[in-house]
Amino acid sequence: MKAERAVPGTLRRALSEVRRKRGASVGITAFAMLLLVAIFADFFASPLPVYGTVRGHTYVLANVTRPRELQSMSHAELEAELARGFALRALVHWGPAETGTAVLRPPLASAGHVLGTDSDGRDVFSVLVHGARVVVSFALLCVALLVAFGALVGALGGFFGGVFDAIVARSVETMTAFPTIVLVLAFQAMMPKASTLTLLLAISLTRWAEVARLVRGEVIAVSGQDYVLAARALGASPLRILVRYVFPNARAQALVSATFALATVILVEASCDFLGLGIEESSPTWGHLMAQSRHHPGAWWLLAFPALALLGTVVSQNVVGEALRDALDPRGDVLAERPVDEAPEQGTAARSP
Amino acid sequence: MFRYALRRALWAIPTLIGVSLVVFLMTTLLPDPLAPYPTGGSSASSIDPVTFDKLTEERRSRFLDLPRFVNTDPRDVRILTDEYVGHIVADDDDATVSARRLAALGGAALPHLLPRFDNLPAAGRKRVALALVPVARRMRRPDEGAFETEGDATLFWSRFWDDHSIDFTEPAAKRAVDRLVEHGGEEREQDLYLLDTFALPYVMAAMGRTDRRDALAQLARVAAHATERDGSIPDDALATTVRARQADWGAWWFVHENDFVPFSGAERVAASVSQTRYAKWMLGAILGQLTSGSGEDLSLGDRLQRRGLLTLSLTFLAMLLSYGLAVPLGVISAYRKNRPVDRALALGLFVIYALPSFVLGEICVNLFGLGHAAFFAVLTLAAGSVATLSRFQRAAVLEVLGSDYVRAARAKGVFGVRLLVVHALRNAIMPMVTLAGVQIPTLIGGAFVVEEVFSLRGMGWETLRAIERHDSAWIVVAVLATALLATFTLLASDVVHGLLDPRVRETLRRRGA
Repeated sequence: MKAERAVPGTLRRALSEVRRKRGASVGITAFAMLLLVAIFADFFASPLPVYGTVRGHTYVLANVTRPRELQSMSHAELEAELARGFALRALVHWGPAETGTAVLRPPLASAGHVLGTDSDGRDVFSVLVHGARVVVSFALLCVALLVAFGALVGALGGFFGGVFDAIVARSVETMTAFPTIVLVLAFQAMMPKASTLTLLLAISLTRWAEVARLVRGEVIAVSGQDYVLAARALGASPLRILVRYVFPNARAQALVSATFALATVILVEASCDFLGLGIEESSPTWGHLMAQSRHHPGAWWLLAFPALALLGTVVSQNVVGEALRDALDPRGDVLAERPVDEAPEQGTAARSP
Repeated sequence: MFRYALRRALWAIPTLIGVSLVVFLMTTLLPDPLAPYPTGGSSASSIDPVTFDKLTEERRSRFLDLPRFVNTDPRDVRILTDEYVGHIVADDDDATVSARRLAALGGAALPHLLPRFDNLPAAGRKRVALALVPVARRMRRPDEGAFETEGDATLFWSRFWDDHSIDFTEPAAKRAVDRLVEHGGEEREQDLYLLDTFALPYVMAAMGRTDRRDALAQLARVAAHATERDGSIPDDALATTVRARQADWGAWWFVHENDFVPFSGAERVAASVSQTRYAKWMLGAILGQLTSGSGEDLSLGDRLQRRGLLTLSLTFLAMLLSYGLAVPLGVISAYRKNRPVDRALALGLFVIYALPSFVLGEICVNLFGLGHAAFFAVLTLAAGSVATLSRFQRAAVLEVLGSDYVRAARAKGVFGVRLLVVHALRNAIMPMVTLAGVQIPTLIGGAFVVEEVFSLRGMGWETLRAIERHDSAWIVVAVLATALLATFTLLASDVVHGLLDPRVRETLRRRGA
């Protein structure tokens, strides 16, 4: 059973298998769209024109380059200037930090604000789109960090065994004892200056263990395989075995946990934002919008739209993660056989803290 | 079986150490209040004395004056006295600060100083005598109020030990404190003023023993007088305030004990480990002896009890609810695998699963208001777990349904509910027991957020307030408490699993455990 899973090149096969599944391909498409929105946020919402003439000067891609002389102009002024001639505009004419006069308007209630405005008069659509950029880049960075660390520690522990592995195993167990959100909040509170960077570090610190646990299990399984023994018998050095034979297999497991970790990080980050200890208030995020809805009970659009964005993101990542895991695990179910005194295989899918 | 449980419990020890190390790592992030001042240390040239003392005190309450893990130079009152007297006699840069510190040590320093007072060089003796004048004033000696000349002070301290060395002994001090506790009265309070800080260990011990308000008020007055610290207990204070003050003194004593008590032989050996930042934080958190800053009307213990109770009941109820829902849902979806019911359940649960609990909570608040906050809080909290657990239950039932003994039961003619509940579920429920252990940290974490949404005053609510007030003591205690709870439930669920599952029992018996 295990031998099948450990054949080199599993990752590529699994990926192609995942691509064939309908649910998973929907998930991948949704995630790709989110990435596109994040990358091209300035084309979806920006007060500055993609192409347009202001005071006799023609700007190209001003929404991306953000020339200072345009930024210093007031919103109304800019609108009037651009209305004079031909201008190619972003989908919504508001930036994420711009505060208009229309405060707390429901969707479509005032011109230009498709999804309404928040309590400071910011355009909800714009915050959502630019929030996607903040949230996605934060999550990707955070996951890169925690997966790199967790996979490395887990792989080394599983491969070398002995005292080092014992330490890895105990540390993993230690970290799983902490409720993620509690530890992240506590770290943020203790930092002399809490910031986005410290949030990133705190989340990575609390979540690497999950990755390490899965990768370690995989590496232990792979290390016992015949082809690893064969390589050893042929005189391959431990380093060579690790890099050539063990890592490629652990890579698949790391990818699966990275997919789930992405969703978890996004959820934890949103919760921190909601509690006011997350990313700085000056950056637009979905969590900040939802936090506002607490003080304005009737303003359902402040809760509903970011929640839907969050839902879509997390569902798409979980779908992809599960498809990937099923493709890698021939048994196709979540319960693995386990010895008596080991913790059970946890639900790996992301779950809000 | 007992040996299995014991071995499993021993396995938890490294985890507990790990937990304490992580929490300790967290406390090292706290900024050092003296860090902005370049001189730091003992000389206070760049800061005025009052601020310096305040910052030093704040620093000490976070144990920043102690080394992290090993203390090669643990200091008690004896060593401190020698050091300060040395500086004062030598009249070096640190003399002024040392004089102030010596006065703060007060009566407790006298047994280590006065017996050799006459052997000090004359000029040094005079300076030491002057440094001790605030102590004499606290003792209300000389009775007439002040010394006429500097020589008088020297003479006073030379004679003092001849007259009073008998009072500065453990039995005498103990007796004086006991008399005060039993009988009260102005005069007995005055007797203790004479002993100054020498009486503190016995005052503190008495404070821990008694809960009589009048006695506590008097003891607090004596302690406040000797330490020049505000810690009095007003007559009309609430019971909780009295406990908070009591705890406050306990926490203060936890930080300062060795300023007034010399190490005994065994303590001296242990001090290299116990007088460290790590040991102090952990012991302080476990004993509830951490200072949570001023202006707190509840003691740390009282707060933990009140807030913890709510969070625990939320977590426990959510656990019950989620198991109550997840097991039947999981069984149904397994029985109707890939039929519409299974599909619909999977989709619904998947959506709930992907929504953070605060969104579900906010939806409940918006729809139903805060009327039945606790009910909806449990519901919200349970929602996420139901999704996870029912998926596991479905998988477990599917696995069992495919096994030979279920096929045998089917062949025998068993079907429907009887097959599912009597034959399949008995085995399929086993993995769920172990899951309970890992579910706890998730639920507690969820409870922290959900409490905030529903404005319930549990640990999450208290923690967020503590963060606003920079109350590091509460944060440390809260994190430690949740992690310990999680560790123990994991342990318990493993042991229960061992007890329940005949297969595990059999394996253990064969292994001879």
